[in-house]
Parts: sequence; structure tokens; C-alpha cells
Amino acid sequence: MMDELDWVSIKSGILEMARKRGAEVARVGDPALLEDAEPGLRPSDLLTDVKSMIVLGGAAPRAAEWQSPRVEVMETVGTADRMVALGSSVARHIEDTYGYYALNVPTATDQDDKAFLDFKAAAIAAGAGSPSLAGPVLDPTYGFLYLTVILTTLPLPVDGPLQEAACPAPQCVEMWDEKGTTPCMAVCPIDDGGCLGGEIQEGLVIKRRYDADRCRDRVYHYWTPGYQAALERALDEPDARKRKMILYGSFFTRTMWSITYSGVSQGQCFECIRACPVGTEQRVLI
Amino acid sequence: MTTVEGEVEATDPGDLEVVTNAIKQVGITAGATLVGVASADAFNEYVPVGHRPEDFLPGAQSVVVAASLGPTNAAWQSPNRRLMEITGYDFRENVASIVIAEHIERTHGYLAMHAPALPTSGQQPPLSMMLSAVLAGLGTRSIAANIILNPTYGIMFFAAAITTMRLTPDHQLEENVCPARSCVRMYEMEGKTPCMAVCPADEGGCIDATIEDGEITSSFFDRERCSTRAMNFGIRGHIKQVEILTGINDRDERRELLYSDDFRRNMSSIGRYKESVSQCFECMRVCPVGRYRRKLK
Repeated sequence: MMDELDWVSIKSGILEMARKRGAEVARVGDPALLEDAEPGLRPSDLLTDVKSMIVLGGAAPRAAEWQSPRVEVMETVGTADRMVALGSSVARHIEDTYGYYALNVPTATDQDDKAFLDFKAAAIAAGAGSPSLAGPVLDPTYGFLYLTVILTTLPLPVDGPLQEAACPAPQCVEMWDEKGTTPCMAVCPIDDGGCLGGEIQEGLVIKRRYDADRCRDRVYHYWTPGYQAALERALDEPDARKRKMILYGSFFTRTMWSITYSGVSQGQCFECIRACPVGTEQRVLI
Repeated sequence: MTTVEGEVEATDPGDLEVVTNAIKQVGITAGATLVGVASADAFNEYVPVGHRPEDFLPGAQSVVVAASLGPTNAAWQSPNRRLMEITGYDFRENVASIVIAEHIERTHGYLAMHAPALPTSGQQPPLSMMLSAVLAGLGTRSIAANIILNPTYGIMFFAAAITTMRLTPDHQLEENVCPARSCVRMYEMEGKTPCMAVCPADEGGCIDATIEDGEITSSFFDRERCSTRAMNFGIRGHIKQVEILTGINDRDERRELLYSDDFRRNMSSIGRYKESVSQCFECMRVCPVGRYRRKLK
């Protein structure tokens, strides 16, 4: 345990450790900024006397995965769990090294499928990205990243929100001015069976529409909701042979693989992010 | 118990103890909090054929056991009890045991494997991690659900690597960690320990025991009842729901169960929290062993 704590050095040490272990973005936010969230979603609901909120972003699909001609690659390769392991490791490091409480906020959901904490709000508060028309928080350099949030009683200096939003990117503003849409809205238009809509004025997003249920159905096509739907169909099927076909069919099997092996965030639909220009330079390799 | 901290000095391949310590350090570096070693032969006294290291790796000489702490201290403190229900942990001990096995094969040329620990028949694991931990000197059984308690850390999570390499085994702990002195005092005054008080077997709970002269003279643990609480959401919960679903004839009633929060949580548990979640940790919450370590700033 250190006698005199130099918070700036401690912060840079923790964030450096996180970066070495795979975080592309590592920043600290003020948990008080999230205290006006509904009860149950506030940082202090999870950790009394929380002082800092460390937000780590990383583990995005690799460049090759984005390039793969087989859609099944992105559909089944989950990378988000790496961030969970990293968050747990950073939390343990804080407790072991500095003697302050730290917990990695679960990425799974609480009762009634509610999140334990609004990760997007935490990332925005820490400057680990800014909101986007497509939905995910975008880092100006890396674009879409998976997030993990560590709450701690360690009073670290706060980074705060980004000064400039990553979305809309200049190319998207240009496209909006010309065609009245952006790449993400064009690929998934809410008024044409898609999930995204919005308006841009003077380079700023002034309105956003998002069909969360429809999006979830596509992003998690093979996950728990798919399993529930297939099981329901099987149980409703009076013909034993047809029931067997459903139960032993590819769709049912894939839902089970998805639930148990692929991790939660598998990008079964990633089309808005595929079209998003923010961070695309990271996906261009030889 | 031998623990390794910091860098291990230069390894002389001829010195078994130094080699053993170096292998332990590999586990610590890979994320384990403690690493202990048991002799493979030591299992023979306690478990039948089919559950001994030799049954999984012919010629097994040693079992290297990695221990980690599970949820962070902050998770224990969280006012949202459901956080502990689903937090699980990062399975560092599993990573450590796999790294240890790889290290032994690559560096020393002996066979080594991650020990099979998940139940394959009923609730019996192929190789008991609890017994492995006891034999490796990492802890002793407790009144509280037979959980292995380490004298310093209390509850820990264990994984092991079985190897044909002969290593220097650790000694089993000479003193039982449970009951702690404060528990003995409470038992003498009230006839129960903190864990028995929080989960009494004769009042719908899982734990009972008698203590004489500071030693456990009998203990009772209702494993079936405990498992429905500690693993309320998960494989067993899901199987139960499927059984119920097949017995419901009304389509709407089936839908209600299929799309219920309970059903979703079971699926989440299977997919995300894996086997070790803390859906009931009350006996450990009140256990004094290692509790002072959970008090931070």
C-alpha cells in the first residue's frame, strides 16, 4: 500500500495497464454525471461512495473479420468478452494494489432485462466516445468499440466528455446535404424496414429515430430471443416429425451455439457500423 | 502452504523445489492468487478409482492447483444483491491452470492437462477441485456448504493441472480453518455459528453442525437445497422450465413462461455466468475467515 498517493500517476498507471492488455481507449469519467439516471441505474446503486468510473473500449472485430466474404464469421465470432475479462482484471488490480473498492459492472442484464448501468452514458461522460446516429458510442479514432466500466472508490482525476462529437463524420454531413441521408441511415432506413433515422442541421445531429426492438431482433438473431422463438415453434408443432426437424435444425442448433459459445455481442447485424466511416482506417490492412 | 510472491530466482533444473516454485510462479503470473501442488498418489486415500488423477492421465505424478478470489471486494459490498448473482468472475484460475499445463509440456517435456472438473454424472466431478485444493494445502473444508476455506483469503475458486512431472508437493494444512475462533465463541454462546444462523438446516436452510472443543464433530449440508439457491438460474433452472413447458397444453400459457424474465435469466446464466455464480452467497457473506481482507477504502 502506498503512503502518499499521487492520483495522476496512479491514474496513468491504471490506464496504461489497461491499454497494454488490449484497451484501445481508456478514460475516467465522473460517476456523479450519471446520478440523475433512474433508480437502479445509478453508479452509487452498485457501489456506495463510488468516486470514479473507468471506461475501457476495445476488442472490436479485427480488420480481417470485417473483410471476410463469409457473413458467418462476423455472426459467430464474439469478441466482447475480452473486455469483461480486462475489466475484472483492472478492478482486481485496483483493490490489490491501492486498497480501494473496484468492481467491473456486469455487461449482462439485471431483472426485466435492464442494464445495471448505462454503458453508453458512462462512455460519453468519460469521453470514451460520443453518441452516434447508428446507436453505438463512437471513438473518433477507432469508431465502434466494445465497452467495459469499472466503478471504484479510488478518487482519480476525471477526463470528462469529448469536446467534439465523432458523429456525424464530415463525409456523412456531405452525404446528408446531398441526399438527405447518411451511410448508416441509408443501409438501415427506419421508414423502409430498417432501424435508423434522423436529421442533421449545420453538421449536428438534431433528431434521431431508432427502432430498438427491430434492431435487437437482427443483432441477436441467433441468441436467446431466437432460441425462445424456435422453442415456442417446436412446442406448438403437433406433428412429431416436424417438431424433430425444428429441434434438430440448423437454426435451433445455431441459437444454442450462440448462447453458449459465441459470447453476447456477436454482431449478427453490423451493417450500420460497416457503413460508418468513423474508424474505418483501422480496418484497412494489406 | 507454499505461496510464491515476486520473482523466482534462477531455476536449476536439477532442483525439484526450485522447479516447482518456478511452475507456481507461472500460475501466479497467469492470474492465480495462490498455487499449490498435491501428489497424485495422495488422492487414492480419499476417492475411488475413476476419480483419481491417474484415471485421466496415466502416469500422473502431480496435481498443480491454482486458486483465485472470485468477485472483487466491491462486488461483495454492492447494495444491488443481483450484481453478485450474475457477476460470476473471470475464471483466472482456469486460465492459470491451462498456462501451467502448457508451460510444463513446452518447457519440461512432461505431459500435462487441465483437469476435468465439471460434473459429468449427477453432481460428481470427474476430479474434485475441492479435494485437490485440500491436498495441495490451499485450504480445508468448512461447515458452510463444505466450501474450502483458505486461512488468509476465505473462499477461493480452484482449477488444476494434472501432470506426469514429479514436483515437490505441499503439505495439507495442519489446522482446520473452520471453525474460526469467533465462530467457536458464538457456538458456545448460541449453539450456532454465523453460517448456521444465516442458513439453518432445520428452518428451511442448508447447514447444520456440532462443535466440541473448537473442532467440528459433525456437519450436515443439504446439497440439493443449496444448489437450487446457489444456482437458481442456469442449466438446472432451464431444464426445469423445459419440463414445465412440455407439460403445458395451453399455447398462451406456454408463451408466458417462454418469454418470462425467469426464462431469459436462465438462458443468460447458461450463456454468460457459466457454472460459478453466487446466486446465494449468504453463508460466505457472514463467514469471518478472510473477511478482514474485504474491507477496503
